Amino acid sequence: MGIKSEQHSSASSIDSSSDPSAAGASSSSTDLRLGLSISSSYYNDLFPTPTTTTRVQPLSWPPIRSILRSAHLDKALDHKQASLFIKIYMEGIPIGRKLNLFAQDGYDSLIATIAHMFPTTVLCPGADRVHSDKYHVLTYEDKEGDWMMVGDVPWEMFLNNVKRLKITRADSFDRAMAFLKLINGGPLPLGTNS
Amino acid sequence: MKMMMGSSFPEEVLEHVFSFIERDKDRNAISTVCQSWYEIERWSRRRVFVGNCYAVSPLILIKRFPDVRCLELKGKPHFADFNLVPEGWGAYVSPWIAAASTAYPWLEEIRLKRMVISDDSLELISKSFKNFKVLVLSSCEGFSTEGLAAIAANCRNLRELDLRESEVEDLNQSSGHWLSHFPDNYTSLVSLNIACLNSEVSFTALERLVGRCPNLRTLRLNRAVPLDRLAILLRRAPQLVELGTGEASDLRPDVFSNLSGAFSGCKELKSLSGFWDVAPGYLPVVYPICPRLTSLNLSYAATIQSSDLIKLVSQCHNLQKLWVLDYIEDLGLEALAASCKDLRELRVFPSEPFGAEPNVLLTEQGLVSVSEGCPKLHSVLYFCRQMSNDALRTIARNRPNMTRFRLCIIEPRTPDYLNHQSLDVGFGAIVEHCKDLRRLSLSGLLTDRVFEYIGTYGKKLEMLSVAFAGDSDLGLHHVLSGCENLRKLEIRDCPFGDKALLANAAKLETMRSLWMSSCSVSFGACKLLGQKMPRLNVEVIDERGPPGSRPESCPVEKLYIYRTISGQRFDMPGFVWTKDENSALGLS
Repeated sequence: MGIKSEQHSSASSIDSSSDPSAAGASSSSTDLRLGLSISSSYYNDLFPTPTTTTRVQPLSWPPIRSILRSAHLDKALDHKQASLFIKIYMEGIPIGRKLNLFAQDGYDSLIATIAHMFPTTVLCPGADRVHSDKYHVLTYEDKEGDWMMVGDVPWEMFLNNVKRLKITRADSFDRAMAFLKLINGGPLPLGTNS
Repeated sequence: MKMMMGSSFPEEVLEHVFSFIERDKDRNAISTVCQSWYEIERWSRRRVFVGNCYAVSPLILIKRFPDVRCLELKGKPHFADFNLVPEGWGAYVSPWIAAASTAYPWLEEIRLKRMVISDDSLELISKSFKNFKVLVLSSCEGFSTEGLAAIAANCRNLRELDLRESEVEDLNQSSGHWLSHFPDNYTSLVSLNIACLNSEVSFTALERLVGRCPNLRTLRLNRAVPLDRLAILLRRAPQLVELGTGEASDLRPDVFSNLSGAFSGCKELKSLSGFWDVAPGYLPVVYPICPRLTSLNLSYAATIQSSDLIKLVSQCHNLQKLWVLDYIEDLGLEALAASCKDLRELRVFPSEPFGAEPNVLLTEQGLVSVSEGCPKLHSVLYFCRQMSNDALRTIARNRPNMTRFRLCIIEPRTPDYLNHQSLDVGFGAIVEHCKDLRRLSLSGLLTDRVFEYIGTYGKKLEMLSVAFAGDSDLGLHHVLSGCENLRKLEIRDCPFGDKALLANAAKLETMRSLWMSSCSVSFGACKLLGQKMPRLNVEVIDERGPPGSRPESCPVEKLYIYRTISGQRFDMPGFVWTKDENSALGLS
């Protein structure tokens, strides 16, 4: 029930693909609201001047299935495009949610956004880790299929490598790390949670 | 009189006669003849298709049809494919599986589209139906490889497992090993489609499975299966008819020759897909089988450019279906038109859908060429950046047999590039000439006039998709009042509002569903419609909070209306609002 009201609407602003605020971060000079706040006068003007530089390109347009969309993700990244949707899961919650990484400025804003989507406190990357089951850490699966700790590489590199995110209990993550140290002699790359 | 006809045959005879009638429409017609036909028909109905899982409840279905063997359900609105339906909207299949598990022990097939299915439901399926044969999950989500492992382990008679375009999670380490759960003595697999899986599958398990199933006809792998392993599978299953390959990036001479040999051994292959990031140098391995191919899906092959595509399609003289990226360009489509006289379906997807400038030379001309050269073409999905009324008129005159025409001009509201007019007359020509048109998607600059054409000529139109078009309520009114066979209408970013909706309220009951997002419908009109039409569920999707708290003039974000005989659904999330606003989760 905790996802109503303020909390919910802030979560949905990164969830909803048609939400203009999600796109704003990546192309702030473009007024993406045009497509959503239609005035009838706009429609009376049936022949807009072709020189117009304003582009109305909501995130859900053009209509391409997500599977084809994800095949284009690499390219979209090269072109600094409007959205990079990935799935985010939390241990113990069966259904994941979608998150637009391009709407985030960096790790800090990512953590802040997640705090609104899931009922937990996620430790910031690099912060001193508290050994408690009340805290969660953020891990990601990279393109090779390895699970890594979010914050281990610069943000841009992270955008290039991330496949999905998972919120893991801090203590189970620590156990996994310790285990891997034991068998690999090093913490990374990290397999899935133990 | 009708009663006498019904009672003049013994029930067994009628039941036998009915068993030859398969189409849902015909069976529905039979059931309306008289009471006794209704009874015989409902006891003998084995296949049921539910186009909207909220239009009827599992209990109503079971009461009417007590002995169903094949169940097909569809969930979320079609626009969910394009991220327009928020996460958590609904379409959970669990109540259906739970009900079927007790009512239909002999269920053999489950086909789901755009539904959320959990691992628990998959496990229940695997354990409840003794003779379960077919599981098709199309654009579904909510499950993981663990659920698939349960299916593999328990469904001894499984013939088909098709996960087309589903989102499958693989959160545990052993995710790739679900295939090894098929028992060693399991041999009945006919069709396996795992193209959507992100994770690697255990190749040894896959190889053994393919090797021991002599009837395997369809195998669509995911991109994680490397091309050098494909030859091993093909040698194990030379009887394959449909193949989807994995990734094929680095060209290696040994792999090439190995594959060439393997492909030439496959004498039955008719359909090819996959080829993720294929190195163009690999394409010659399929040249020997090209003349046999009827279906080719290269929409993931983002590395093949026009010249290679031309070489390929020019050899596919029997091709009926082609899905391809716009790298094919106008020249490639010209070659297609010249070589593939049997082509029926063409889809051309954009390689850079978000780029502002064209990256390839693909225009309206490519589609015009195919419409001229391919007399059997009747289904088109075409993404491009420029179009003209002349081209649309030519296409319409060339192909009056068109049944599905979906055109997406990437930039919204793009006018005719030759004269800067709207594309009204062009699409008007399509609906006027293509008398059997059942599905239409519009794009480009369009006024209310195009909807007048559609209402006047689109008498067989069943599904219409509209975006960034029209200028007033009149547009929507033309469609709702004119298209007699319309079942699904989806609209986004159009200035259609209350008047057209309320004036055609009764029409909505004859349709499966209406979707409107970023239009001009008020919450007041939605509530009124819900009150006026008790058999319609009028659901407002608004993630900003209760729509009633905003001024009356403020339009609702998204609206989904569908007819139902089971009333309000019970699983509405907090962002869905109905006429009984207070009963929605939000204000509790």
